Amino acid sequence: MSRLADAIACGEFVVTAELGPPKGTNVAHLLEMSELLRDHVHAVNVTDQQSSVMMVGSLTVCHLLLNRGIEPVFQVTCRDRNRIALQSDLLSAAVLGITNVLCLTGDYVTLGDHPQAKPVFDLDSVTLLKTVAVLQEGRDLSGKALTGVPSYFPGAVVSPAASPLGPQIAKMEKKVAAGAKFFQTQAVYDPAQFEAFVRQVEYLGVPILVGIILLKSAGMARFMNSNVAGVTVPDGLIDEIGSVPRPERAARAVAIGARLMREMNAMCQGVHIMTLGWERHVPRLLAEAGLAPSPSRSTNGE
Amino acid sequence: MIITEQKELEEIVRSLRGRRRVFLIGCGVCAATWGTGGEKEAAGMEARLKEAGIDCAGWIVTEEATCDARTTRRVIRRNREAIASSDALLVLSCGAGVQTVAALADLPVYPALNTLFLARIQNLSVSDERCRLCGACILAETAAICPVTLCPKGLANGPCGGYEDGMCEVDRERDCAWVAIYERMEALGQRGQFTVIREPKDWREDLHPGFVNKRAQKASV
Repeated sequence: MSRLADAIACGEFVVTAELGPPKGTNVAHLLEMSELLRDHVHAVNVTDQQSSVMMVGSLTVCHLLLNRGIEPVFQVTCRDRNRIALQSDLLSAAVLGITNVLCLTGDYVTLGDHPQAKPVFDLDSVTLLKTVAVLQEGRDLSGKALTGVPSYFPGAVVSPAASPLGPQIAKMEKKVAAGAKFFQTQAVYDPAQFEAFVRQVEYLGVPILVGIILLKSAGMARFMNSNVAGVTVPDGLIDEIGSVPRPERAARAVAIGARLMREMNAMCQGVHIMTLGWERHVPRLLAEAGLAPSPSRSTNGE
Repeated sequence: MIITEQKELEEIVRSLRGRRRVFLIGCGVCAATWGTGGEKEAAGMEARLKEAGIDCAGWIVTEEATCDARTTRRVIRRNREAIASSDALLVLSCGAGVQTVAALADLPVYPALNTLFLARIQNLSVSDERCRLCGACILAETAAICPVTLCPKGLANGPCGGYEDGMCEVDRERDCAWVAIYERMEALGQRGQFTVIREPKDWREDLHPGFVNKRAQKASV
């Protein structure tokens, strides 16, 4: 059962958001944030040791969300687990009723807070997607039969602003061939560039959820430009968010995000909002972007 | 070539502590080419050891690679008097050379070098790793550029999302291996090869410790 899959299949404009688990056992804040998203998104991604920083596991948080009636997207990277552990976690997810799985390669270990750790990368995002497909056929990677066959809605990621773009699209094509049913993108700030990307990958016929990160400040924009691969915030937007006084910044960030969404919504099948602590602004962002509340996005509708 | 670097003298002196007299053996192939264990370096090491108060019985550089036990055995035999007057051997070669000597000599053997990687030598100051000795060469499918070696994640199915302007996520000074592979495939008209999904590596092929006996293999066929 995946509400996300159903909504995409129905051609509905899909909304997902993203939460990062805490470092430590206190999940109160995380659950509070998830409540702010509950009635506004189809599903909530839970990151897997994002940026190689050690945190509570994605699977556990997905389980907590699902128990509260919030549909999770289980993010799985290949950085920390070999094929035995990855298959095991995928089966565990299915047992817990978690079906949306986002398959990623994962950042390198030296980017995070345990740079001494041994990187794994036994599988990659493509072979992880293939693993999901194999498990759904009732086998594991060694060909052994499974007792109880899992069912997933597998997705993947793509960077529309990657430079050069050719290898990125070629990899996206392999992800589709390996079974990716939807794509969430890295944050996009240039609608014209996104439109050109969408045209180039139209032949793949796969739903794309455009990535949105609210620009909290000019400093944050500049930080992303120099530190986050595949994210380019144009100078015009940096100036715009930098020109407003601090108390008005959130409103302006929401206005910019909503403007970007209005320009790009028609080009794709949904939006993926990486909230980075600004979960409270999601309802206003969606309203300003012209996305009326939808019963399928609200758990109360079920 | 196997790329090596000389250890700090302090570390070598520390490992030789308690030894009366040392004989030096350099390698005439990789270490000589790379300037870490040839005649000049062996003579230089002897001089520095003497300065540090360690008595030396002389040095020799094996004409062939020190790791070739057939020829190194003869070198040790020819120098048996100098070796007999020593109570330690210091070897200026890669780790394979050091252990080849150790298997042929009845006295303590010490390394003078750290062994770094298997590389292309671009010139006498620049070398870059090119092979990880993974046991299952895929260069035929990757435009003769090795992602096992050149991608820090060892990815086999294309780049991750971390490259920026064609440079690697892990080191922005280094080319992304998969962008390079993609571009070379395009240049050679082999773009179709990129679409092939490579299965996860069989790590049994990455045989460590490696061992080959060609005669036994032939006999078993």
